[in-house]
Amino acid sequence: MSEINQKSASNKSALAHERGENKRKNGAIIGLSIATAVLALSTIGLGVGVCVSQHNAMNYRADLENVYNNNFYNLLDSVNNLENKISKTLSSGSGSTYQRKMLLEASKNASEAEISVSQLPLSQSEIQDTIKLVNQISGYTSTLAEKMVRGESLTPEEVDTLEKIHKSVLDLKLRLNDFEKKLNNGYSILDRSLDVREDVNDFTRSLNSLKNNDIEYPTMIYDGPFSDSVVSSKVKGLSGKTVTKSEAAENVKKHFKVATDIVYEGETNGRFETFNFRVVNSDSERLFVQVTKIGGNILTISGTGRNGESSIDEKASKDIAIKFATDNGIEDAEVVWSDTIENDIYLNIAPKSGGIILYPDLVKVKVNMTSGTIVGYDATTYFTNHTDRSLSKGGLSLSDAKGKVPSNFEIVQARHVLSPLDYNREVVCVEVEADNENSTYYFYFNSSDGDLENVLKVIETDDGNLLM
Amino acid sequence: MKKKLIIVLSIVFIFALTFTGVGLTTSHIVNAGEKAEQSEVLDTLTTAQNKTVQTKLKRWGYYTGAVDGIYGAKTKAAVKSFQRKNGLSVDGIVGPKTAAALGMTISGSSSGTSQSSNDLHLLAKCVHAEARGEPYTGQVAVAAVILNRVKSSSFPNTIAGVIYQPYAFTAVDDGQINLEPNSTAYKAAQDALNGWDPTYGCLYYYNPRTATSSWIWSRKTVVTIGKHVFAI
Repeated sequence: MSEINQKSASNKSALAHERGENKRKNGAIIGLSIATAVLALSTIGLGVGVCVSQHNAMNYRADLENVYNNNFYNLLDSVNNLENKISKTLSSGSGSTYQRKMLLEASKNASEAEISVSQLPLSQSEIQDTIKLVNQISGYTSTLAEKMVRGESLTPEEVDTLEKIHKSVLDLKLRLNDFEKKLNNGYSILDRSLDVREDVNDFTRSLNSLKNNDIEYPTMIYDGPFSDSVVSSKVKGLSGKTVTKSEAAENVKKHFKVATDIVYEGETNGRFETFNFRVVNSDSERLFVQVTKIGGNILTISGTGRNGESSIDEKASKDIAIKFATDNGIEDAEVVWSDTIENDIYLNIAPKSGGIILYPDLVKVKVNMTSGTIVGYDATTYFTNHTDRSLSKGGLSLSDAKGKVPSNFEIVQARHVLSPLDYNREVVCVEVEADNENSTYYFYFNSSDGDLENVLKVIETDDGNLLM
Repeated sequence: MKKKLIIVLSIVFIFALTFTGVGLTTSHIVNAGEKAEQSEVLDTLTTAQNKTVQTKLKRWGYYTGAVDGIYGAKTKAAVKSFQRKNGLSVDGIVGPKTAAALGMTISGSSSGTSQSSNDLHLLAKCVHAEARGEPYTGQVAVAAVILNRVKSSSFPNTIAGVIYQPYAFTAVDDGQINLEPNSTAYKAAQDALNGWDPTYGCLYYYNPRTATSSWIWSRKTVVTIGKHVFAI
């Protein structure tokens, strides 16, 4: 009995064991199949994800390709129109209203061409001449149109330049139209622009018509933006003997008596030639100072000041700035404009001559109001333009000028100024500051004939004021 | 068995979350909703102006929260302590007087002439992307190069045109331009807009260690500031 019992008991336990095993097996199978399902699901998910991102990538590609094609066709249109307008300018009678209209439209087409060409994926070094050509044409034609408004007609030299311009534009036009055929036959700007060899991509190469020695770039000199004459503005205001590096360092020391450290930082050899120093001033601010080789003048200081509550007010900042400018040879100067941005106050200082404020000789100073120290100084404009001028206030009195401002303005003040107008033109004007509906305006009346030369408006922005 | 199921289920759940992205977005919406309610009560300034307030207060140690442009309780508390310290009436609201003490102007919306300084932001972004880590003057110089290009006939005529010209700046091409600029980049951009140019008209700069273009080496070097060579 006991044996049987024992047997059955062991049978039972074996059965139970088997059942348990089965259960475990089943569990493992279920677990495995769930895991497989999850894996399968995630694979599908991943697959969908990849498909979606690939689809997205293809969409982005297509979008970019479209943007490039759009820019190319816009460029083509503008250059076609430009060529047309210049040839019409040349064939219409000199001084006619129609000719002026054509010049203005040519100017517009040229500036449109600039926008389109500079948005194409063309290598920088290859595209600059073309951008310069269209920019200059735009400036030149609009200057000629303005000249015609004053009743003048085109001189033979100007007609000659226009003929040269026409030839260049015609060249450009033919080459672009040639390229358009390629584009129609499935050329991809995007693909070809990614193929780069020796810094120049294949798209630039295919369009090398744009920088080809056959295209002649005429020199355009005129009183307007981008003129060849404006680019090379000479330095008029530097004189005296050439200083050595150590003399320059001495000069820096003179102006930063409390400076703890003056370190030589190399030279600058551009329009101005300077020795550069790094100065740590009394407030542990690091400043970069440039001293001219000719005359040993402090030309620029750049740096940032501390943040924190102001230790000095605007009046004290102005005094500090004027004193620094005077110490640096800017005589009889006054603050003509100031603006506070965070803890820095930017002050524009202009010297005077015979009671006339010289705007072309502006010096800019930045004072940190927390530390009360100079953290920025820029006399490049001063040394570029400053020269002995014989100026007269002209016939226009201050009250005459005030009378010329429209009656809905409230006059704030008037003074005589030398105003830099257009390009390379300086005119003595009466400047009248006047308010209208919460905005401040500056009017400039020519002091010899009373003509309104310019109006500036103060534009408030989130980060300070602009004069436009 | 149960444990396995739980593990398996949680894996499935995680996958589900990842693919739908539901989890993250909903919590964001809730947060933003809460904050919007708070700001409706107290906020009289624009988000940009609030950011300016927060930046200034943070710099001076009054505020410790995030600069997010949202006028929350932390910002209000910071404004209050600033007002207390500066002898202003303590109401936690940035009115004209508090604004003036903060060194900012709140232009009334009535005039309608205020415009955003988008040029400054764009310039600061490019400076930060291209020259963070460079000395301050080097950052001003990079901003000045961009502005010199705007003036030059050989480049586009707007700041955006110059910055976004294809291949002009590596940090624009690779997307670093979208990083949020720091205050140094803003100051450098501001200085350049005010006319500072330590390069005297340079149109190019490059890092001689990494520059691959042979063409760029042919330009006349004007000055080296930090790691960058500036050329014309």
